[in-house]
Amino acid sequence: MNADRENGAPRVVRGTPVDLRALKRGKIFFTSYTPRLRYAWDTGEAISRYLEELKHGRLIARRCHRCQRVMIPPRMFCERCFRPTDEWVYVRDSGKVNTFSLCYVTWDVRRLKQPEIPSVIEIDGASPGMGILHLVKRVKPKEMRVGLEVKAVWKPAAKRVGSITDISHWEPISRRG
Amino acid sequence: MKSQTQKWHGEIPITSQYTAGVAGQIFLAALKERGELLGSRCAPCNQVYVPARQFCERCFAELSERVSVKTSGTLKSFTCCHVDHDGKQLRAPQFWALVQLDGATTLFLHRLLGVTEPAQIKLGSRVELLIKPKTKRAGSILDIEGFRIA
Repeated sequence: MNADRENGAPRVVRGTPVDLRALKRGKIFFTSYTPRLRYAWDTGEAISRYLEELKHGRLIARRCHRCQRVMIPPRMFCERCFRPTDEWVYVRDSGKVNTFSLCYVTWDVRRLKQPEIPSVIEIDGASPGMGILHLVKRVKPKEMRVGLEVKAVWKPAAKRVGSITDISHWEPISRRG
Repeated sequence: MKSQTQKWHGEIPITSQYTAGVAGQIFLAALKERGELLGSRCAPCNQVYVPARQFCERCFAELSERVSVKTSGTLKSFTCCHVDHDGKQLRAPQFWALVQLDGATTLFLHRLLGVTEPAQIKLGSRVELLIKPKTKRAGSILDIEGFRIA
């Protein structure tokens, strides 16, 4: 109907807003529906092993023998060389902040007083630029910077389930001396 | 370690509340309060839409004239359903009817009650709408039980 034009001006057809008070008093008829939307995502060969290793408190990567890159998260195929990757290599559970965000809202856009700090962390032992996205904690927003050295804080073994959240968060490596 | 692939399980929480709309509200209110079936007439198109609706789907004019139609009608088409809307097998087949109610020009969809197999149904049969007693009506299309062959 908006395409209808009279004297060149678009004709506006207004919607009818729902009166919330009438809705609460049951004066407006509606159908409520909650579908059960479940999915099972096949994690594939590389990520399956990656998740299994997380359960044991280890980070694992894949090396390509042609370009010699060590890739994390691991993949079975080298996107640079167009060939299968060759071997599993363990990498360390420490790294450097590659990039970060000071996030003052939650995922459903509620305000936060203290920001969450999602960061891409370049993992020690993997190739430069290879990293994973995770949360950095125990650092003041003003002290957050690219290059900050951080270490994984693991959940206790009994609480690990084979998920990236088996790492609770990352925090700065305290410098001694 | 043996290589084996895993599954990652997840769920997407969604709840929707779908209002009946302006004309749907009028239709459901009449059904709930008076057990009455309201249609919308478009005089230029010579149409009576049931349930009532806000716009004529032929000429796009806004419809304000409401007319009451009868609870009796003629069976125009039907479907025998062996699965529910999730695709799960039903214990007994369910029947759904498209009926032209007396006074309407459109077809009205609802359950066809009291039949167990397609052979019992004849197109063109007279049918009657069964409406729940007032105390059980909630302002829903399910305030109607369905059609029964007259």
